[in-house]
Amino acid sequence: MPAASAASPRLEAAALIAPGAALLLAAFVLPVLQLLSVSFVAADGSFSLDAYARLISDAFYFGVTARTLRVAALITLITLLLGFPLAYVAARGSPRTALWISVLVITPLLTSVVIRTFGWLVVLGRNGLLAQVLQPLGLVEPGFALMRTETGVVIALAQVLLPFMVLTLIGSIRAVDMRLEEAARTMGAGFGATLARVTIPLSLPGIVGGSLLVFALSISSFITPALVGGPRLPFLAGSIFESATATLDWPFAAAQSALLLLAVLLLFVPVTLLRRERRG
Amino acid sequence: MTLVRTLPALIALVFAATASAQQTLVINSFGGDYEKTHRELIITPFEKQNNVKVQVTTVYSADTVAQLRAQKERPQFDVVHLSGGLDATAAAEGLLQPIQPGQLSNYKDLYPIAMQNLASGRGPMYHIAVIGLLYRTDKLKPAPASWKDVFESKLAKHLVWTDVSNQWGMLGFLMVNQVLGGTLDNVNPALDAIKKTLPGATIVSKSPEIQQAFAQSDAWLAPYAQDYAFTLRKAGLPVQFIQPREGAPIAPVTINLVKGRPNTELALKFIDYTLRPEVQAGWANAMRYSPVNKQTKLGPEVAAEVTVGEAAMSKLVEIDANQLSARRAAITEAWKRAIAK
Repeated sequence: MPAASAASPRLEAAALIAPGAALLLAAFVLPVLQLLSVSFVAADGSFSLDAYARLISDAFYFGVTARTLRVAALITLITLLLGFPLAYVAARGSPRTALWISVLVITPLLTSVVIRTFGWLVVLGRNGLLAQVLQPLGLVEPGFALMRTETGVVIALAQVLLPFMVLTLIGSIRAVDMRLEEAARTMGAGFGATLARVTIPLSLPGIVGGSLLVFALSISSFITPALVGGPRLPFLAGSIFESATATLDWPFAAAQSALLLLAVLLLFVPVTLLRRERRG
Repeated sequence: MTLVRTLPALIALVFAATASAQQTLVINSFGGDYEKTHRELIITPFEKQNNVKVQVTTVYSADTVAQLRAQKERPQFDVVHLSGGLDATAAAEGLLQPIQPGQLSNYKDLYPIAMQNLASGRGPMYHIAVIGLLYRTDKLKPAPASWKDVFESKLAKHLVWTDVSNQWGMLGFLMVNQVLGGTLDNVNPALDAIKKTLPGATIVSKSPEIQQAFAQSDAWLAPYAQDYAFTLRKAGLPVQFIQPREGAPIAPVTINLVKGRPNTELALKFIDYTLRPEVQAGWANAMRYSPVNKQTKLGPEVAAEVTVGEAAMSKLVEIDANQLSARRAAITEAWKRAIAK
């Protein structure tokens, strides 16, 4: 008995992966391929690249894509800058600190993103909390609102996605051996230098992983940009929804979806190559 | 021993399952207060009367048509409620089952306009909404009288436009366009005028946002539906509806039979139930939708806030649903580009 299973560890591994892979194939790969095939169909049913041509050449849709990517990049940067200190304190602090930070970070995730976004509507609106604080100070004019602005979308979405960055980073920073940092300190490096030359380079996998996650979630985000940005600030996910349900232009919706997929896949390639290099 | 113990339980389970195997009817509704009223007036009484289960999915008209299209081989809805002329779109794509007048007992009592499209495979209207101007009575004296009044420059900051993805936003937009001399093929007159009201004016995409705009963002004027004025008044806002002198578009909501489903008979019963005079009166009382059934009895205050009678209905402007259907994508694109920052 033991001899038989020992002789085919690969078969064993394949058998374990099979159900998950089958599910992924049926529920993800096949539908995505079907979606992509829809993007190559013209109005009369023949093969056509019209949808893609329109997406690239039309200034309006180019603007939508540019805005989506720009906002996503900004959000990734902000969550990284805000998330790293939080993750560092959680990873290096006392167990109690770590617990509190984890609770503060995970609790928002237990609330639906719609509810969290509505919270921002109240804060960022014309007579909202932010306006009520800044107006008496004379910092803004009456009628000020960050609602329906790109800035508002960045703020709201950054807060919504921060937990993902922090949780990824905590794991990564914890994996950095504290003795390496201590060694750097004993050799005369200050706190900043240790951080820059030891901790950050060693927690790079987490930084890259967290950034990828936040970026992917940002460009595909639908609810928050729609609610906070409003109809005048179209984003890619909202545009896809509108093409699919309002104008009923399915090839175009599929083409935009393909673009979204491509944007994320393009980032995965260098990341995977980087990982392979480091391991080798 | 174990089998003997579990067998009675198994038998009981099988009996229970078959006993509770009621027929199910799948419909869509529009969520919020509307769906609540829908359940009170139609869904729950219908379930009790016919001993069936009605499964309600909250989805707006455009999304419903998109879903029906995706489900064409195997539709998941029995009865769909559609606004904005989308029943024309659905019928043209072969998604709806035509209804014969004889299949509805309430047919003889409907206003002609409510059943005029049965012949082309569309369902009857069960709500008539009228699109006009909602305005705050305390801020706008005298009341606006023309569609062009929305373009007064000092009103820009207090104006609310509804995105054309919303069916009633679309009809209001098209009416403004018509008044300014445009046609379904040329919506530039309205787009140019609306662009001038930006960035002061607010553009919303869902009706609850209109309420929010009136309540929190100092909105005074919005092209929207007559029944919504009632919703705002119930929320404590001093808002009235007015039909501008150039006319008001009729915004019907239709109830339609989906093609290719097994329980057509039950679905037709549901449609018939929706057209009863008591149900129509209930809608008028609760939400001020204008009734389609001539036999509907309304109290005087309610009658004043809806559009009833052949005479009043004949004054409403009808925007051809088939023509709109063909141009909807182009109009939506033009709108999107005009309002984008």
